[in-house]
Amino acid sequence: MSLLTVDSLDAGYGDLQILTDVDLHVDDEEYVTIVGPNGAGKSTVMKSVFGLTTYMGGTVTFADEDITDTRPEDVIHKGLGYVPQSDNVFAALDVEENLEMGAYILDDVPQDALREVYDRFPILEERKDQKAGTMSGGQQQMLAMGRALMLDPDLLLLDEPSAGLAPDLVDEMFDKIDEINDAGTSILMVEQNAKEALRRCDRGYVLANGQNRYVDEGTALLDDEEVRQQFLGG
Amino acid sequence: MGASETYVRGRRLASEQPFALVVGLVAIWLVWFLLRGLATGNVEFNNLVSYAWDGLMRGLIIGLASIGLSMTYSILNFANFAHGDYLTSGAFSGWAVTYLLAGLGEANVGSLLLVGAGGSVFGGTLGVGITTSPIAVIAGMIFAGVGTVALALFIDRFVYRPVRDEGGITLLITSVGVAFALRYLIVFVFGTDVRGTTAAGSVPELSMFVIDGSVKINAHDITLAVVAVGLMLGVHLLLQRTKLGKAMRAMSDNEDLARITGIPTEQVVRATWIIGGGLTGVAGYMFVLWKGTLGFNDGWLLLLLIFAAVILGGIGSIYGAIGGGLIIGLTASMSVIWIPSEFGRAAAFMVMIVILLFKPQGIFSGRTTA
Repeated sequence: MSLLTVDSLDAGYGDLQILTDVDLHVDDEEYVTIVGPNGAGKSTVMKSVFGLTTYMGGTVTFADEDITDTRPEDVIHKGLGYVPQSDNVFAALDVEENLEMGAYILDDVPQDALREVYDRFPILEERKDQKAGTMSGGQQQMLAMGRALMLDPDLLLLDEPSAGLAPDLVDEMFDKIDEINDAGTSILMVEQNAKEALRRCDRGYVLANGQNRYVDEGTALLDDEEVRQQFLGG
Repeated sequence: MGASETYVRGRRLASEQPFALVVGLVAIWLVWFLLRGLATGNVEFNNLVSYAWDGLMRGLIIGLASIGLSMTYSILNFANFAHGDYLTSGAFSGWAVTYLLAGLGEANVGSLLLVGAGGSVFGGTLGVGITTSPIAVIAGMIFAGVGTVALALFIDRFVYRPVRDEGGITLLITSVGVAFALRYLIVFVFGTDVRGTTAAGSVPELSMFVIDGSVKINAHDITLAVVAVGLMLGVHLLLQRTKLGKAMRAMSDNEDLARITGIPTEQVVRATWIIGGGLTGVAGYMFVLWKGTLGFNDGWLLLLLIFAAVILGGIGSIYGAIGGGLIIGLTASMSVIWIPSEFGRAAAFMVMIVILLFKPQGIFSGRTTA
């Protein structure tokens, strides 16, 4: 049973159409990656699921509920979490306040979820009174993920979680994502670091020019001669 | 060798930062002038303290009035030029209530509600003051806040919200239109005359002896200080401690991210107008209580100083707005030590420009309410 289904989605910004007829789905507890060249529309897929683009056609279904073109502030109520690629923390708020904002829709801050986030990312607890804007890129990325995990979402959308990280942190970040997925959260991830992402995920989509090109198990895409030639640099 | 080193350092400073050198020299001259004045008796200590107190009061007014502008700037992303006329509207609505309560039975209700338009009633005759008619003053102050909240919400709903997605310039020009419309609506109802609102003679004064003379502090100064500092503290606690306050800071920081975390942005916008409008109305009322006169231009004339304070403090920071307000107020009042009092405003703007040249982002830079 698929958790998220995107069916023939057309979307863009204003009059500019970016996505044409995109299909994709994420099953329960599955780990799915979208790879593709710059400007392929990878981030636009994520934004469209969260209602941040101009809707032009098709449907988005989540847990049997039609969430096509739902306002961003309502999507979060359905059980999805989203970590945008950039500007993904409230720079002027401290770490703990950022996490509290992650659970804004609840009446009280869920202490058990906060505990879990701190256990998963101990650096956040050490720095809980620090302003998010003064932290390093890697720490901000962890904070952004922690914020999205505060509501214990069924599906987590991650847009380029390794972007801008020092090489030694990239592996650590991918390990964290594996852990989150192992704990039962489905993942839909966009990654520049295509080879590593495909190695780790269950299934991968190759997106080019706003359209689906290939879909297969991650490792199968890695072995596919055409995909390697065109999208993975040989 | 020491002398030549100093000479070289001086030359380098003059060529690399000529402006800093000029400002430094001017500052030294100002301090020397002041010290000489104090030593020779040309400048009296008690006057110095009086000017500082007057500047502090003006600073508190400007600071309090700046918070609302700063909040709507940082959360809604636009500079509301009608802010000054919100102050005036708050002042008129609040003073109408004060006149009504203080003068009920002594004068007809119409002239009381029109705040004595055309010289039909005078605040002095009614004995308006914090000690002589405390209930009328407090009720008026509260109504000024409530009335301005209603006005701000009304204008937002029917004027600003429909054009909110058109960008900052459209909103700004629209707000200029709102400013004129409000001001002349006030003129239409209340007239153009500047009226005295308080019984100036019967406001109790505290006279303190300072070295060579006395410094007078009256009951309205104290009322202003208590109300302004109390409200500033309240805003601080709201922003730092409450969920709504944190959501307001989050939204001013990053609106898109606020939306995807489920913060209901329209609700936060409404809360911003409620809090900002309330503070603005009370500030307008307190301004009039403190200076003792009320005219349709009061808020508009104060607006330039408010903008100066907001820019000086770092646009969008409410702590910057308060700090900027104090600097502007103190400069405007204390400049009379050196220059004729008509130039007080000009001096305040000069200081603003000089500070911005060294710190272009403002003292508390960053577009954030925190």
